[in-house]
Amino acid sequence: MKEHFKIAFELAFRDLRERYVNTSFGQLWLLISPLVTILIYTVIFSDFMKMRMNLVESKYAYSIYLIPGLLSWNFFAVAVSRISNTFFEKAHLIKKVNIPTFVYYIATFISEFVIYIISMVFGVLFLVVIGQHIGAEFLWLPMLMLLVGMFAFFLGVIFSLFNPFFRDLKEIIPIILQLWFWMTPIIYVKELIYHKYPFLVDFNPFYYFIEPMQTLFLYSKVLYKDVAVSFAIVAVLAVLAVWLYKKMIAEIKDVI
Amino acid sequence: MNALEVRNLTKIYKLYEKPSHRLLEIFFKRKKHRLFYANKNISFNLKKGETLGIIGVNGAGKSTLLKQIAGVIEPTSGEIKRYGRVTALLELGTGFNPEFTGVENIYFNGMLIGMNKDEISKKLNSIIDFSELGDFINEPLKTYSSGMVMRLAFSIAIHSEPQILIVDEALSVGDAHFSAKCTKELKKLKEKNLSVIYVSHDLNSLKLLCDRLILLNEGEIIEEGNPEKVINVYNYLIAALNKNQSLTVSENSFGNLKAKILSCEVKGVESDSNVLSSGEEGVVGLKIKADEDIENITVGILIRDRFGQDIFGTNTYYLNKKISLRKNKTYLIEFKMPFNIGAGKYSLTAAIHSDESHLNECVHWIDKAASFEIAGIKGIKFIGLCRLDPEVEIKEKYV
Repeated sequence: MKEHFKIAFELAFRDLRERYVNTSFGQLWLLISPLVTILIYTVIFSDFMKMRMNLVESKYAYSIYLIPGLLSWNFFAVAVSRISNTFFEKAHLIKKVNIPTFVYYIATFISEFVIYIISMVFGVLFLVVIGQHIGAEFLWLPMLMLLVGMFAFFLGVIFSLFNPFFRDLKEIIPIILQLWFWMTPIIYVKELIYHKYPFLVDFNPFYYFIEPMQTLFLYSKVLYKDVAVSFAIVAVLAVLAVWLYKKMIAEIKDVI
Repeated sequence: MNALEVRNLTKIYKLYEKPSHRLLEIFFKRKKHRLFYANKNISFNLKKGETLGIIGVNGAGKSTLLKQIAGVIEPTSGEIKRYGRVTALLELGTGFNPEFTGVENIYFNGMLIGMNKDEISKKLNSIIDFSELGDFINEPLKTYSSGMVMRLAFSIAIHSEPQILIVDEALSVGDAHFSAKCTKELKKLKEKNLSVIYVSHDLNSLKLLCDRLILLNEGEIIEEGNPEKVINVYNYLIAALNKNQSLTVSENSFGNLKAKILSCEVKGVESDSNVLSSGEEGVVGLKIKADEDIENITVGILIRDRFGQDIFGTNTYYLNKKISLRKNKTYLIEFKMPFNIGAGKYSLTAAIHSDESHLNECVHWIDKAASFEIAGIKGIKFIGLCRLDPEVEIKEKYV
């Protein structure tokens, strides 16, 4: 097991390197792109468009609201689609090397999660720069991120297991993700839709992961209830993913 | 001591009309498949230090068997016991990335085939030396020739010190020099008790490297034993596949028998026996009889040494002699030549077939139709398998 994790880390490290191999800035790009993302949100929305939130008195309130949601979603969308594609992306290795398939899931997860962490560090730095209050509650942030990570991981695993049998999933998943994005209060605030479409909020699993983060950034408060729900969602998905994996993996190796 | 034990291994693939049918079957017990037996009830042992070759025509189940031994796919039933690290070269250079340098690829590939980082670091220089890549090792792989990539891959594999090495069609890589080096290295590792499973279509290297061969056909072992014997059966199989002709297979002969080789003899002109001196003029005589009229037929002979290596072969097609046979007539066909080959025991294989080789239509093929021995050398002495009759000139060089 320890060996497997070592290999997963090595694969993840290589994955990160592969992206920027032969670029002059190399791994620096890992830092540049989240930085640019954050700058865009603040400059465009706070300075150009002068978007204000009615809830908080701050020039940057909307950016503060936007950053945790968008960064988390970016991670979530990429991680889910990449992990669900594992059997195609890694077919050349899975077919040739005797390494359990879950190692490849973990490797992709680590690689994407590292990028997520880097971008979130910038997110928090942004709060520091604009002088937003950062309380001890922010110690919850890694936990919240890990929950988003686990959610993406197990969802990706479940999708990936069906992918070889039902190739249409490859086309369907990006569409689902896009719809899901616009139906989740990330760009807009919950209050905008809650009175009309409460189910979009109440039955949207992703919102249970993201609302605590938005609240943390805006008010330095922890929504324990939502965290508990997201924890439960992850637990259920984990059990389901492991069960499906065990049931289907041998069959899948015959297909790919 | 066994390095590997395979017992009653069966691999069944389920074939479905659509991939989604497979999914339905996993969850609802409705049957929607046909069965395909890729491996049927395969059992064998691999001893420590033994080199086992696996041959078979395409689709015989070789790769499926190797993948199961390597652990990449699961057997349907039966069991595989491995005693030690199995390194499988199902593909040379698994996971090689063309953008990365040789060294970086050594680390990654090495890890994939089961080495850890310290181990690789320790062996790094030795791997680089063996691959003979020199300064290229710090260049990206995309600048390498395919032979260089293969050399690197093989070098890593050989340094992973497996107890069981699975080589799939890989040794024919690189130039003759590197090929020989690999063979030598494998022999050295063999002395250290490395067991090798070797799959190839190159019969010569199979004969040279393997202690034992297994012949797979339609997923089953149909022949097992010393390389010579198994390769002969394999040759029959190939001939049978090439033409849906009803082959009459006896111990060491086969063919459709429209014409038969009645006898075969090797004789020295001077010695008047089948023990010749090297360099002596000799005659290979074949008596053949036709059961029907046959136009344009080829008669061929093949000399093999005691290891079963092909030494020399020729036929009337190459020699531009047209032969047509009439029904119920007997013919004597003689090949006269100086036997410019080294000392030793040889066998002669004779065949009647159409065109250039026996692959199109094989009328009659006899393995070991005759045997002869070369003893002593007539004329100038030499060493080795063949006499090349060199001339030596010595020129004084004026500066």
